[in-house]
Amino acid sequence: MSMGKGIVIGHLVTLRRFLLTFWRDIREGKGLHRRGGGYQKLDFWWGRKARGQEPVVTQDSKTEGLFTVEYPDERLPSYERFRVLPVLVYDTEDGNVRCTSCNICAKVCPPQCIWMTQAKGPKGNVVPLPEDFFIDMDVCMNCGLCSEYCPFDAIKMDQNFELSNYERHQTHIYSLQDLLVSSEFYARTHPEAWNSEDEVVERGKVAKKKDQRLQKALAATPKAAPAPKAAPKPVAVEKVS
Amino acid sequence: MATPTITRPEWSTVIDPVLQKELEQHVLVTNWDKLLGMVDTVYNWGRRSSLWPLGFGLACCAIEMICTASSRFDIARFGAEVFRGSPRQADVMIVSGTVTKTMMPMIARLYDQMPEPKYVISMGACATGGGPFKEGYNVVSGIDKYLPVDVYIPGCPPTPQALLNGLIMLQKKIDGEKLDIPLLGKHGNTPWYRTELDRDIPVPVLGPDLIDLRTVEIAAEKTAQGLLDAREATLTHPPKIAAPQRESATPEPAEPAKPAAKGAKKVKRAEARPSIVWLGNEGLSALAERLNAKFGAETATIIQAGLLIPADKLLVVARYLRDENSIRYDYLASLQSVHYEDCIEVNYQLDSSSKPGSLIELRVRTAEAEGEGEVPSVVGIWRGADFQEREVYDMMGVRFTGHPELARILMWDGFAYYPLRKDYLEPYYEGPSKVFDSRVEEGFGRHFRAEEVNPYGTNMKIPRDFKDWAKLDAAEDTKGLGLLPSGVNVSELDTDQFIISMGPQHPSTHGVFRMNLRVDGETIIGLKPVMGYMHRNHEKIGERNTFLMNFPFTDRLDYLTSMGNNFGYALAVEQLMGDDAKPPERAEFIRVIMAELTRVASHMWSIGFLLNDIGAFFTPALYAIEERELILDLFEWASGSRMMCNYYRFGGVAFDLPPGWLERARGIVNDRLDGKIDELDRYLSGNEIVLDRCKGIGVLTAEQALAFSTAGPVLRASGVPYDIRRVAPYSIYSHFTFDVIKGSAGDVYDRYYVRLLEMRESVKILKQALADIPEGPILPGKKSYQIKVPAGEAYSRVENPKGELGYYVVADGGPTAYRYHVRSPSFINLTALEQMCLGHTIADVVGILGSLDIVLGEVDR
Repeated sequence: MSMGKGIVIGHLVTLRRFLLTFWRDIREGKGLHRRGGGYQKLDFWWGRKARGQEPVVTQDSKTEGLFTVEYPDERLPSYERFRVLPVLVYDTEDGNVRCTSCNICAKVCPPQCIWMTQAKGPKGNVVPLPEDFFIDMDVCMNCGLCSEYCPFDAIKMDQNFELSNYERHQTHIYSLQDLLVSSEFYARTHPEAWNSEDEVVERGKVAKKKDQRLQKALAATPKAAPAPKAAPKPVAVEKVS
Repeated sequence: MATPTITRPEWSTVIDPVLQKELEQHVLVTNWDKLLGMVDTVYNWGRRSSLWPLGFGLACCAIEMICTASSRFDIARFGAEVFRGSPRQADVMIVSGTVTKTMMPMIARLYDQMPEPKYVISMGACATGGGPFKEGYNVVSGIDKYLPVDVYIPGCPPTPQALLNGLIMLQKKIDGEKLDIPLLGKHGNTPWYRTELDRDIPVPVLGPDLIDLRTVEIAAEKTAQGLLDAREATLTHPPKIAAPQRESATPEPAEPAKPAAKGAKKVKRAEARPSIVWLGNEGLSALAERLNAKFGAETATIIQAGLLIPADKLLVVARYLRDENSIRYDYLASLQSVHYEDCIEVNYQLDSSSKPGSLIELRVRTAEAEGEGEVPSVVGIWRGADFQEREVYDMMGVRFTGHPELARILMWDGFAYYPLRKDYLEPYYEGPSKVFDSRVEEGFGRHFRAEEVNPYGTNMKIPRDFKDWAKLDAAEDTKGLGLLPSGVNVSELDTDQFIISMGPQHPSTHGVFRMNLRVDGETIIGLKPVMGYMHRNHEKIGERNTFLMNFPFTDRLDYLTSMGNNFGYALAVEQLMGDDAKPPERAEFIRVIMAELTRVASHMWSIGFLLNDIGAFFTPALYAIEERELILDLFEWASGSRMMCNYYRFGGVAFDLPPGWLERARGIVNDRLDGKIDELDRYLSGNEIVLDRCKGIGVLTAEQALAFSTAGPVLRASGVPYDIRRVAPYSIYSHFTFDVIKGSAGDVYDRYYVRLLEMRESVKILKQALADIPEGPILPGKKSYQIKVPAGEAYSRVENPKGELGYYVVADGGPTAYRYHVRSPSFINLTALEQMCLGHTIADVVGILGSLDIVLGEVDR
């Protein structure tokens, strides 16, 4: 008697879910409304947003099941800590690259995919800036240790995952120019971290230091302009996050 | 006189070339090429909208590939949801994960079997260029070394959205195709229609290393020149340390051995204990005395809280410990080896099912020289030693006398080296420990690829005396041939017995796992697992990583449970660091919450795919992994990655929970998970097909389960209530009330049901933890990348969703682990596979394997 009962039940389950989806929406007067955001049911081509402004689908914990995210047109919410590839931040106001080439990122990088050269002044003295910076994307494991332990908030994890391409030998080695992003961009993608106490304090310190350096340069004779400054010692990070 | 040609003015009008072009484009249909161009458009449209991927996954990326096919991302919108099990029906190969040398011949074969036109998507850093495992000895540095790749998707792993992005890129590429029609003389960019072209990839050979037959002459020439040996002579070899000696003697040699130049710092030593919960010093010395009294003096010497047993007395001592000792050591938790300066030490962690938590460690030492080590096999006493001894043989070259089948397990027979020996340098070897000088020293900051430092230009190392180049044969199955299950000889097959090789790219083997089956009709009469197709040298790389660097690598062991893997590794190193790395309370809570969320996600996955395996293709899996997606969202929110969380740190966790996280987690745990578990329970537990296919299949009795060293749900389903969270409590699990679930029948159904009930217990723990989590710091001190780990040895055990996950770490006081071994539950649970499958049918083998819930990243490491 019970032969085949399971199959019937199984189909009923699917049917129930199918009907429920519509019934629930109609009952709540949301027949044409889509839960979780994204395009509404009647948003055809006229309602489509430009690239980069696609609606985000977020799921509340109450709705049964899982929303389908129609990827190129809709996105999952991107969480601030979401990490794909590292980038280097420069300050928007003055264009200063934050990296001081202290090598800590290269020292913590698990697959050793970071190469960097320290900049040299004209007299051969070390300047706390990277001369060049390479990250091999085919080795990087997106672990985020570099950004976690960077004492200068210089290397950060970017959230852009749309990186597919047709070639790897030329394009997957990111050099300094490929890696640089503005602090404005970083503040936009990482608002929480940007406004966090640590980073605000760190920025204040750096601004102060820059100011001091400027004053010193102004006070000094033009001959001593390239103000040799010792490379900062690798220090343990003071982030308690 | 001929009349001059009359030229009508409008005939001689010179048309503006731009206008001409416009006219040709829009008004005039002039030539075949353009006419057929319209065919191209239709062709390309059809092709791009029905890309059928080959249903095989290699590593972590494959999980994201499966998620892409699940309901949240729905690859069906691109017409690409038809994952084909057979290469003959597929037209896009998504190379999803690390391409190992052992797997490469299979991939080449699969590619050759795909019909034209065929496309290759290289998904993730590993497939693209070797990824983080590039430096490993068994990793191919980029699938493009063998196959023509159409689209690369960077990321580790690329998220499902990134994979869809890659798919769209491939569609765009297909849009640009112009057909070659030789009959009409039309030339395009689709060479596969040209009959004269042979686009097959020659299958590489597993010789002393993976050898590409296209470059075999050059390889032979370079081998004869000995370029690699010359390079290795210039490199710093990994140092070897002396094996620990008897307690009284230890401090004396340790001090002068250290160079006095650097202020003669004494190496800080960790407290000597095999694990956090163990028998204890008194119990151990009493046991040693008993052994000495029974089998003569010098039978058992206590060295660093472990019993050193002479090799010739190992078997009697082992038998005594199992059968006669007051605490019956009937469970071999782990077995591994360490290569010291003066010996190779094989050590055994034993526990007892009757008095769990009384762990002891045995040490057996043997000759250090390559190929000379010999230790009696304990397979006769603890069956679970089978694969672990083979692994030691494979990695260290120690022979186990009396082992029924001592063949290589992760590498292939014929591989020229024993890779975990300290004197083996990999083809891309740069230095004994990270950080490599080339990355930080001044003037060396220029980027180079690892290929550039190897004379072969690829990840290859061949001994100089290798001469049998002509004998290399792509058709030979070096990896699996030695593992044919016994019975009649293959050549004597007469009527009804067959050998079937199942895998390694079979869709139901949960990854690149292979079984050699001997069947009589449909009945299994022999089964030999063949593994190592995803061996990516985790331990060798782990011995070069600094302690901190190893965290992200542990994520990639069992990539469904990265939080749990982090947990175990953190505990191992914290055991050495002692009170320096005691996590604050909030961190402990976060750790437990993450670990239990992981357990729910992993069990959901496991149940869904068990149903997949017994024939309910993908629909139950889709239902089961819904909640997993939300849990992954939580992980991504807190740690930054869906799968590779890299969230734990020594003494705590990497970041505090972001604002709003706890509310969301409470919402999911309180509102959703229970309902989901009920749903699975309601639909599956009483389902007649599930009952038919699972009850009484793959039975493992309690005695067998213990003897085979199985762990986790597999062990508990057989009726042994052995849960590390209870028997050897770690972290703050003792604060929470939960039950240890156990089954009784030990069949596939019980293993399913134990997992289901365990999820309920996890939810119970989660509710308590989420309610009680205190505020406070998440790390004991400042965050630092320089971690000082005292010398010593530690074995940590955590109850991972798959079973007991153990990390064995030997530290020598330096920045890297001297020896790093992972006791992986998936790997050891497989020891019992043959026993469970005998007498059942092939279809049941799939279900039984599904009920073991293996993850190949952990099996092969």
